[in-house]
Amino acid sequence: MKQTLTKKMWRETGSAYLFLSPALFVLLLFIIGPIVFAVFLAFHKVQLLGATSFEFVGFDNFTRIANDTRAKIALWNTLKYVVIVVPCQTILALVLAATLNAGLKGERFFRIVYFLPTLTSSAVLTLIFMWMYNQNGLINHVLEAVGLPTYNWLGDPDVALNAIMIMNIWSTAPYFMVIYLAALQDIPDSLYEAAELDGANAWQKFWHVTVPYLRPVTSFVVIMGLIGTFQLFDQSYIFSAGSGGPNNSTLTVVLLIYQYAFKTLGTMGYAAALAFALAIIILIATLLQRKLSKEESLY
Amino acid sequence: MGKTKWMATLGITTLLFGSLLTGCGGGEEAKQANGDSKQGEKVEVTLAGWGGNPSEQKLLQQTLDDFEKTHPNIKVKYEVIADQYMDVIKTRLAGGQGPDVFYLDAFEAPALIETGALEPLDKYVTDEFDIDDFEKPMLDAFKGKDGKIYGFPKDYSTLALFYNKKMFEEAGLEVPKTWDELREVAKKLTKGKDVYGFGVAPELARLYYIAESKGGKVVTDNKASFADPKVVGALQPIVDMHVKDKSAAQPNEVGATWGGEMFGQGKAAMVIEGNWAIPFLQDTFPDVEFGTAEIPMINGKKATMAYTVAYVMNKDSQKKEAAWKLISYLTGKEGMKTWTSKGYALPTRKSVAAELGFDKDPLRAPLVAGAPYATVWQNGTNLPIIVNNFNNQFISAFLGERPLADALKEAEKTANSEIENR
Repeated sequence: MKQTLTKKMWRETGSAYLFLSPALFVLLLFIIGPIVFAVFLAFHKVQLLGATSFEFVGFDNFTRIANDTRAKIALWNTLKYVVIVVPCQTILALVLAATLNAGLKGERFFRIVYFLPTLTSSAVLTLIFMWMYNQNGLINHVLEAVGLPTYNWLGDPDVALNAIMIMNIWSTAPYFMVIYLAALQDIPDSLYEAAELDGANAWQKFWHVTVPYLRPVTSFVVIMGLIGTFQLFDQSYIFSAGSGGPNNSTLTVVLLIYQYAFKTLGTMGYAAALAFALAIIILIATLLQRKLSKEESLY
Repeated sequence: MGKTKWMATLGITTLLFGSLLTGCGGGEEAKQANGDSKQGEKVEVTLAGWGGNPSEQKLLQQTLDDFEKTHPNIKVKYEVIADQYMDVIKTRLAGGQGPDVFYLDAFEAPALIETGALEPLDKYVTDEFDIDDFEKPMLDAFKGKDGKIYGFPKDYSTLALFYNKKMFEEAGLEVPKTWDELREVAKKLTKGKDVYGFGVAPELARLYYIAESKGGKVVTDNKASFADPKVVGALQPIVDMHVKDKSAAQPNEVGATWGGEMFGQGKAAMVIEGNWAIPFLQDTFPDVEFGTAEIPMINGKKATMAYTVAYVMNKDSQKKEAAWKLISYLTGKEGMKTWTSKGYALPTRKSVAAELGFDKDPLRAPLVAGAPYATVWQNGTNLPIIVNNFNNQFISAFLGERPLADALKEAEKTANSEIENR
């Protein structure tokens, strides 16, 4: 190959790169550059203000994570959040999609209604939910009316994270529902007919035809869900006014990264190390998921 | 093929670095262009701060207009950073785009001074500026370890006890003079879950003076030391009021966002707030009749908190002369008088305070009276870390989930390990 490089080929590749250069430039400047810089930061003790200094510290920032109680709490909260939210939103999305696909009356209307939460920005949703979660808010009034116990949703460390979970399941499930809906309409009717001839009831049809057929989509939904939930930030940030409180109960890994990067001075390097660690965790979780589902036909 | 790719990468990298270098070069040029102003040339100084309420903004604008009138060569560009003020300021300073003059809370001052991002102001000070006129604790809050002054306090606020006159009258109670009396009074004023006797903000910024009232220290040698039994003992009554007496609550338990709102809504008969609550209550809840008193004595001693904010100068500023003129006007006798004339915050200059006579204003007198014995909300460079950990664990004790001593012990451990790792 190398010997056959002619002038013409040089010119061709040259012009190709010339045309690619704006895109490459943007990619390098805004995507590759920051990633490389973040990795660089992760191995340094950084002071950005005043007398800027970068001191190489090797793996110190990473070993520090192991001794950081708050990092452990943040990771534990995030894991708890992922483990509960991902299955819940996936199942809810599937059920919603299945009901919408069943040919009921007013299907279109419900499709729109269900999809609405996805259209609102998460910051606005969080603020609205904070009103509803308020001690004298809508949710407590409803709970009281039906004789259930009320909670201090925002101030009680035991329920604050659950409050965010409920809100997030409600707001992200519709997004995945739409993906499921598209996949559902792809399932050939002949499969259902065959199942019917074999005497399958509605539940058996759903479990033995719909669910297996949707496996690649489920895999996609779970991976996107994993990545999204691991990166939980804005909701807990708004909920706790940036503190991760009450009592560290809404502290997530990304919120902790934010705190180290911007709230305390001189810990930018440690924040970068945390971000790097989170990226690796997400990578592992995604790989595990792919290994377990073994369905890669969709992506 | 491999070779071409390599070449291209090299090319792009050069391009990238080239652009970075030109970026820096731009800064150099700007430096020359903006250098010391010649006669008749207008200099624009940027001033950044957080926004207050509209009436406060109007006052500041008026002060700035006066300044521009007396200094025709200088134009002030005022920028409001509405949210996450310190994050924005830090990011802008790190990026070399910091404002020339900006607000700095005493709480954040030591850490920022330590980085060297601020300009020491001693060399600019003239006799005319009359530095001895400032309340000393407020001025000391902005001194660096090197003894230099990095900012001049523009105003301050102290805490006082706000009480609902009507509720006290109905219950036939006197305003408490000691903390024990407060606890008793709070019990009598509490009406189940509708009205709490005392509204508490369970955070260190508001509890610091109480925590240290029995001789314990929250911070020792720039490290957390609040697990000290003396500190625990001093804070225990607050926790007991919430857990045992059920006579105290935090604002979010009644659906309010802060003490002033809780008090205004009539859900707390007493709160401890600063002078910012006075105009708020008068505007938002005009029907609530309230009085203020000095904070009840703890251990036979008077105590309160003082919060202060200064104007500081960016070390990288290209217009330091003009920036100083602005600072010296705003914190000077004339500017400070205009700025504090409506009583949103209290003047840090003794002469201005005397002139405005806030010590005779019935609502503000207890606040002014607190200034000499107030604890300034600041302590070393690690206070932000210490506060974060304290608040996080204190709340669980406040909610009765575990003993205060345990909670504070764990918080202290976490805070100190974070400090050691810094």
